[in-house]
Amino acid sequence: MSEFFRKHRNELGLAVAVLVVVAITATLSETYHSAAGRAETARIIFREAAMLGIFALGAAVVIIAGGIDLSAGSIIAFSGTIFFGLLITLAPDDPGTRWASDANLHFPQTDELALWIPAVALLITLAIAFLVGSFHTWLITVIELPPFVATLASLVGLRSLARLLIQDITVLQYGQRQSTITINDELLTSVSRESWWVSCVLWLVLSGALWVLLSKTIVGRHLYAMGGNEEAARLSGIRTDRLKWLAYCLSSMTAALAGVLYACYIGTTSPATDGMGYELNAIAAAVVGGCSLTGGIGTVAGVILGTLFLRVIIDSVAKLFRSQPDLFEGLVVGMLVVLAVAVNQLRSTGGVRKPYFPGLLGLLNVAIISVLAGVMTSVTSSEAKLRNGLLVAGGTLVILGARAIAERVKGRGSRV
Amino acid sequence: MTLDPRPSTLSHIAVRSITKRFPGVTALQDVSLSVARGELHAICGENGAGKSTLMKILAGVITEYDGELQIAGRSVRFAGTRDAAAAGVSIIHQELNLVGSLSVAANIFLGREVRRAGWLLDDRGMEQATAELFAQLETDIRPSRLVRELRVGDQQLVEIAKALSLRSDILIMDEPTSALTDQEADRLFRVIGRLRQQGVTILYISHKMDEIFRLADRITVLRDGSLVRTLDREQTSRREITHLMVGREIESVRLEDGRCPGDALLDVEDLSLPWPGHARRWRLENVSFQLRRGEVLGIAGLMGAGRTELLECLFGAASPPPQGRILLDGRPVAFTHPAEAKAAGMAMVSEDRKRLGLFSRMTVRENITLCTLRDALRGGLIQDSRERRLARESVEQLSIRTAGTEAAITSLSGGNQQKCIIARWLRTQPRVLLLDDPTRGIDVGAKAELYTIIDALCRRGMGIIVTSSELPELVTLCDRILVLCEGRVTGELARGEFSEQRIMEFATQREVHASAGAAS
Ligand SMILES: Nc1ncnc2c1ncn2[C@@H]1O[C@H](COP(=O)(O)OP(=O)(O)OP(=O)(O)O)[C@@H](O)[C@H]1O
Ligand SMILES: [Mg+2]
Repeated sequence: MSEFFRKHRNELGLAVAVLVVVAITATLSETYHSAAGRAETARIIFREAAMLGIFALGAAVVIIAGGIDLSAGSIIAFSGTIFFGLLITLAPDDPGTRWASDANLHFPQTDELALWIPAVALLITLAIAFLVGSFHTWLITVIELPPFVATLASLVGLRSLARLLIQDITVLQYGQRQSTITINDELLTSVSRESWWVSCVLWLVLSGALWVLLSKTIVGRHLYAMGGNEEAARLSGIRTDRLKWLAYCLSSMTAALAGVLYACYIGTTSPATDGMGYELNAIAAAVVGGCSLTGGIGTVAGVILGTLFLRVIIDSVAKLFRSQPDLFEGLVVGMLVVLAVAVNQLRSTGGVRKPYFPGLLGLLNVAIISVLAGVMTSVTSSEAKLRNGLLVAGGTLVILGARAIAERVKGRGSRV
Repeated sequence: MTLDPRPSTLSHIAVRSITKRFPGVTALQDVSLSVARGELHAICGENGAGKSTLMKILAGVITEYDGELQIAGRSVRFAGTRDAAAAGVSIIHQELNLVGSLSVAANIFLGREVRRAGWLLDDRGMEQATAELFAQLETDIRPSRLVRELRVGDQQLVEIAKALSLRSDILIMDEPTSALTDQEADRLFRVIGRLRQQGVTILYISHKMDEIFRLADRITVLRDGSLVRTLDREQTSRREITHLMVGREIESVRLEDGRCPGDALLDVEDLSLPWPGHARRWRLENVSFQLRRGEVLGIAGLMGAGRTELLECLFGAASPPPQGRILLDGRPVAFTHPAEAKAAGMAMVSEDRKRLGLFSRMTVRENITLCTLRDALRGGLIQDSRERRLARESVEQLSIRTAGTEAAITSLSGGNQQKCIIARWLRTQPRVLLLDDPTRGIDVGAKAELYTIIDALCRRGMGIIVTSSELPELVTLCDRILVLCEGRVTGELARGEFSEQRIMEFATQREVHASAGAAS
């Protein structure tokens, strides 16, 4: 039993953190006070967590394998465009409509698509994502680009490509340039309503499959080995190039799946903005979940909990800051990500007793954190902004300053 | 130099009842020791006895311990390596701690770079100073080379040069010669001799008894974290020291003859490995030899002779691929990846444990079973209990000292980590086993055990190629020894003809006219 606790400290800690955040939100926000409100909140959290969770898992596999994939956000936009583009291409014409430029041509009819159309579109989209992943792998293993650079190029390039493609597709199908495509199909758009569970099921299935892959198969063990020491892995007869292929394809294909889900959820794909910055959310979820960016460490359970933690916080910010919650989101999420990873780090290095504020850098950061606390209080309070801010800043300064002084006194004592 | 036991207040280093516990292990138990100024004090003990831990405490690497440490009569408690360096202590670590992407000179001056005009780095100056240090060590490593291009032996020399450059009055050497061949070690000993004339106090750890008896004034033996005894070198013998270390007698292994090699297993013909952009042009040049079933073939040579390169070629790990022919069981093979070599029944324990062997984030179990996970499969999935059993088997077979198969590999002492890697490859039951300096950092007892294991494997028909930086090891183990010099085979000796002197002659035969196999 104690071994179980020691081994899964990180996961247990996160689970507790998730519950604490939920409990705080539940007491402070009245949406939790009715059964309907609770159900609705749970649904939103799970749906959002599922969509993020799906490609966070892919990002985590790459991180465990010792790489990094920055392209997720653009792949989301790109795959949404491809998927919807394919839908309108494959959809039958609607004889009741006419193009503005050419009265002989009709718009595609996307209200009720035959089932094979989305199925084929999905397969092709995933296949293209596989190609993108393979291209990354080639750049990384053969051309020997660092993963950061190879996938950064995709991050920038794929979004741009999607924006160009959508213009050509819409010219072909609508007779006019558009920067978005909208689909009205009942079945597909129902993921935003009654079929919200679809993403959750996909997330669960994928989690299960990856858990088996990572912790129960030889391939999984080899992924960890490669992430930990690539050269030693190669000399142990592990085909590191093939493993990378697997990892980067998993990453781009999960991102593509998420892209399809996002597009259906919104009903409109607009590559200029879809999935903007989501790659960082995925990496954050993985890192909060205990993956090490240097590779070789991480678990599926951790990534799931990391994802939930992020979404629960975002939800809580939305509930607790009644005015302009989206403005606060970044601040709070940023803070808590640092906190979660720092706690993890300090625990694993046993550094609870070490000095936090050594030297000039330490003193400077006592000031920085105090000012930050003050500014945050002042922007969040609705009245007496200046007074509140000064109070909190002053309080933080006193507490941290005391700690810094204590550290210095103790340090002198032990260094006789 | 005579050493009268001086009162401990005068001793240069005094260790007072130091105890150090790690989770699950007591690495040091109430150890007290005093070292006189200018003394060369050797520390002996089995793998995991606590030698490195004690040295790390002295050097400020480990800061949490119970007990007291005095340097030059003053009680000190280092908060880090910088404090220790300021107090005049420097250390050559057992595990090499260099920055691979920096040049040799930059590594040596890391943290105290030589500057020009206040801010600018004086690369020229640092390289010059490095070259001077290397001249002392009589080695010709180019100071501007990147450390990651260096072999372990060269890296070790860089570590030594780095420690020397600090000009400390206490120098700790934790197995400094483990990757050096006898010649390089001799050069180091000459440097040590000069340091002693300057009055430097040296703490010296080694598993090589020859060195210890050649250098030490006094010898301290640790066993299971406790200090067993400190002895004057004149008043003791190797036998006594090993006995104190292990707690029992170790017969020097005499592998009785009667090993009779069978038919050819591995045929190497005109193997050449190009060396682009180097004056020598070839790392290996026209190497030909044969390995038979049930034979142990030794490869001797100085550093840079191409021992490691040769094994890497055989294992498909060399890039670019070598030229020439390799026949395994009469069939030509050309491995382009270690995976192919492994599938064909080859195994290689590489010399650079930390960089090329160890998975430092994994457990002992994962490190041992990595190459043979198939054996732990059940219905396509790894079965935990099976895997643990396999790992436990190996831990017992090689008597690896660990808190359990689930312990982190980094919690093991250097020698025990090495045993884990050997175990990983033994588990694959290869036909050809390539061992690149396999006993680096392994204690006398474990060495003897390993020799017996190698002997047994070979009697069962495995073909084994061993390189070693220690000639006595090759002489004990091998049926035949191939001597390399600058990438060429300069000699081959059969068991009856072994002598260290002849091997050294071949190993330093730099002229081209020496024909391969002259001695056979
Ligand atoms: N960081 C650590 N965490 C846990 N245990 C450790 C750690 N470092 C060392 N140990 C344990 O302490 C003991 C002493 O280790 P140490 O490295 O001092 O041995 P050593 O005498 O230097 O052996 P070797 O000859 O193999 O280098 C060993 O049992 C080892 O497993
Ligand atoms: Mg050691």
